[in-house]
Amino acid sequence: MNGPDPAGTKVFETEVLIIGGGVTGTGVMRDLAFRGIHCLLIDRKDLNAGASGGNHGLLHSGGRYASSDLETAAECRTEAEILKYTARECIDECGGIFAAVEGDDPDFATRFPDHCARAGIPCHSLSPAEARALEPSLSDKVFAAYAVDDATIDPFHITLGNVNHAQQLTDSVYLPHTEIVDFEIVNGTITSVLCLDTHTADSVRIRAKQVVNAAGAWAMNVAKLAGCADVAVLYAKGTLIISNARISNGVINRLRSPGDGDILVPGGTVSLLGTTSDTLDNLDDVRPTIEEVDRLLREGIVMVPGLEHTRFIRAFSGVRPLLQAPDADVDGRKTSRAFRLFDHEDQGLSNFATLVGGKLTTYRLMAEKTGDLVARRMGNMSPCKTATTRLPSGEGDRWTEPGFTPRYWYNRNDPTDAILCECEMVPHSAVDAITADAVGAENHMTLRAIAVRSRIGKGSCQGSFCAARVTSHLYDRDLYERCEGRGHMRDFMSERFKGVRPVLWGKQMPQMELAEALHCGLMGLDLQGPRDDENGDGTT
Amino acid sequence: MKESRHAGGKKYMPTMHDSKIPVVDFQAKAHELLPDNASYDSCLSCGLCSSGCPASGFYGMDPRRFIRMAMLGMNEELSNTPWIWTCTLCQRCAYVCPMNIDVSALVGFARGNWPKDKKPQGIVRSCEAQMRFASTSAMGVMPDDFVEIIEDAVDELREEDERFKTIQAPMDKKGAFFFVNQNSREPATEPEELAPLWKIFDYVGADWTYASKGWAAENFCMFTGDDVTWKEMIRQRVDAVNELGCKVWVNTECGHSFYTLWKGVERFGLQADFEAESLISYYAQWIREAKLPVNSDWNTKGLKFTVQDPCQLVRKSIGDPVADDLRYVAKQLVGAENFIDMQPCRSANYCCGGGGGFLQAGMNEQRLAYGKRKFDQITVTGADYVLTPCHNCHSQITDLCDHNGGGYRVIHFWTLICLSLGILGKNERRYLGPDLADIGLPKDAL
Repeated sequence: MNGPDPAGTKVFETEVLIIGGGVTGTGVMRDLAFRGIHCLLIDRKDLNAGASGGNHGLLHSGGRYASSDLETAAECRTEAEILKYTARECIDECGGIFAAVEGDDPDFATRFPDHCARAGIPCHSLSPAEARALEPSLSDKVFAAYAVDDATIDPFHITLGNVNHAQQLTDSVYLPHTEIVDFEIVNGTITSVLCLDTHTADSVRIRAKQVVNAAGAWAMNVAKLAGCADVAVLYAKGTLIISNARISNGVINRLRSPGDGDILVPGGTVSLLGTTSDTLDNLDDVRPTIEEVDRLLREGIVMVPGLEHTRFIRAFSGVRPLLQAPDADVDGRKTSRAFRLFDHEDQGLSNFATLVGGKLTTYRLMAEKTGDLVARRMGNMSPCKTATTRLPSGEGDRWTEPGFTPRYWYNRNDPTDAILCECEMVPHSAVDAITADAVGAENHMTLRAIAVRSRIGKGSCQGSFCAARVTSHLYDRDLYERCEGRGHMRDFMSERFKGVRPVLWGKQMPQMELAEALHCGLMGLDLQGPRDDENGDGTT
Repeated sequence: MKESRHAGGKKYMPTMHDSKIPVVDFQAKAHELLPDNASYDSCLSCGLCSSGCPASGFYGMDPRRFIRMAMLGMNEELSNTPWIWTCTLCQRCAYVCPMNIDVSALVGFARGNWPKDKKPQGIVRSCEAQMRFASTSAMGVMPDDFVEIIEDAVDELREEDERFKTIQAPMDKKGAFFFVNQNSREPATEPEELAPLWKIFDYVGADWTYASKGWAAENFCMFTGDDVTWKEMIRQRVDAVNELGCKVWVNTECGHSFYTLWKGVERFGLQADFEAESLISYYAQWIREAKLPVNSDWNTKGLKFTVQDPCQLVRKSIGDPVADDLRYVAKQLVGAENFIDMQPCRSANYCCGGGGGFLQAGMNEQRLAYGKRKFDQITVTGADYVLTPCHNCHSQITDLCDHNGGGYRVIHFWTLICLSLGILGKNERRYLGPDLADIGLPKDAL
């Protein structure tokens, strides 16, 4: 990296630059802020754009890994207990069941309680009748069942909470849509990082003492850009489908060696059936497919027969960034969910670290280990506090929680606060709060950015109405100008449709016919390029 | 408008009792009460229901919101919202819903879920009155009183008008072809409104009877959301008709009294040895058969008329065939060129706000706000008169006129039929304006 920066380059100074706005990156941010360290977090897209936004939201009891990966199982158990205390408001302690149905390996089922015991995971046996009393949707072909302490966690809420808290603690900063272009390295030290603001096309230079790579599935690419060849990530794509209504009281796991469609997880007002596991060669154009959805349902129906007639509103995919050991199997399902922290010192870099692997449930532990390394390097001896200190509860972080916004609106009883998103009942005031105060709030905020921070577009109509209404509202608030709203609507609906397309049958079909009538028939968005005529004057 | 609707919400306190409303799982209940392909899970959030619902906005609610709140598990809020008493159960939401979702089924259920002391007491008291005597009258008219009132009114009519000196109003006549019910309003408060219908039966030579039991044409028990008392009311009425062996139960000019029996027989699996028909269909038939040779010659001033389709009779029961009959009868009576339909109309008509017990619920502010849409619809037609075969529509639309300073009047069909036939008495014109006060009176009566 030579020569002067382009004119208009924005320059930021920080102690630690964190790359990747997933749950791990934001976890590191909060961990370090607790130790009094100023951080700058960047993401090439936005918070939860990768695996942190493409998962079940399952806070594992550890039962899932008890039979194959004892270390991860035990970590899950410990970390889940910590999070249930420190992040209480992001968690639904709904409990879980492991159930084996006719055709499943009875030996696997028999050994399950021993495996749980070895990992210290509480588990108690249920008769099939007891299991079905707890979960009436469960198949009557259940022959073995165990209750465990599974819970669910809102991954958006926890990410927003982490960043919010870090901002409060040390005025740390989050920059969305900021992509790494190059590392400037002098004598084995990264002295600054050159980035691109992909919305404004401005150059951004960030000077930091330490750089943490928490880019998840993209961590290998980022490490390579810094000249490190030691990181190997196995891309294991997982697809899930979301139902229109909540199906089960708690988590329902298939009691067998992990496979497709064997976990049904409640997500507040909906349920999520997952997941598939397919290794990928690259991260281009990751989207759910009809074949994956068919696979999920074929297996899911065996466990919960009602899924056959359930209305699904969307599918989505995430890529698990699995740690690939040199001699490892390439089957993502058999790969360990363990994580690893690379200090890259053997790669000749003194202030760079990369985190790979792990799970949503263990993100805090990953952040702690990373925080320990980075703080030590900076001579900061403060201990980690994330295991004992609760995440502050801020109303501003809670818009992502299913069912929170409708109650907030209903209880306010303010007739002037019109609802914009009817499915999830998101009113003006919530959108105003998000565009004014949410983490990463900015003018010209995209609908997708608002959706990450709320329930906008997540209901059965999948944005058909709220895309237009929120856009109109943002014009009223002078946050949008000229014709940009059309581009935002198109981007938003295209993104939603990627997920809706593989579940288009039954009740969701007329819903999308209506969406097409509105967005294509009425507004003609299909005839417009993604960002055509953004300025409204014929230029782009 | 929306603001005043909300403000009303805070003020509404049905009673000062502190009994608790049980919390219902509305999503599960919808699943149980509605067909799978038309349950709440099928909702497209399109809002056609809400945009056509005059109760939209009260207490922050509307039909779509009711569905969404059920899907979002807001059972406590739905169990407690007084909005269910501003919904008139008119089912326009269900009629326009592309997925055929009937929100009112769950609104009715929610009403029944309220403890009796929390329910609007006007509706509760009307139901209690009905339960008290075999007449099933919500205004407490007892069987003996009814018989006496009818006898007196018949005597008076015979004395007053030579042309009707042998007219009959048969009571408990076994084997009569028609069993005719009677809204309590006429015997209780305006007996002079009884005779026009008798004159019509007399004119066509109908074989009909009243009954001393089960004659009342109202059912507020249905509006309390209590199936047990709804069923009991209908059972008594069905028994009364079966007992006399009548072939056809003819419902008077009243909306919900048709629905409550017609639907109740099916809903509760009652044995009815007769057909349920609307008086309107017979008006149309008798006009077509020239048994009622009505015409519009009397309308020399070119007075304009519109028709209010009672939701309970049209959308909720017989549908567009009876709406067609209403228009046929109206046009024959007033001249096609003097008839102007409201838009939308027939099965898509807006409820006026008089039904569902709203008139008795003590929520006048909301009821009048609800009816503003109807008032505006009528005003746009420029009609001088609104014809409606429904007592609740009649009261509400009259109220709307007074409240909003309108210039129209509301009348029943029987008034105009008798007017056209030249048999409407001078004292049977309380709802007519001065423009029609003297039309069609015999010369010596002028």
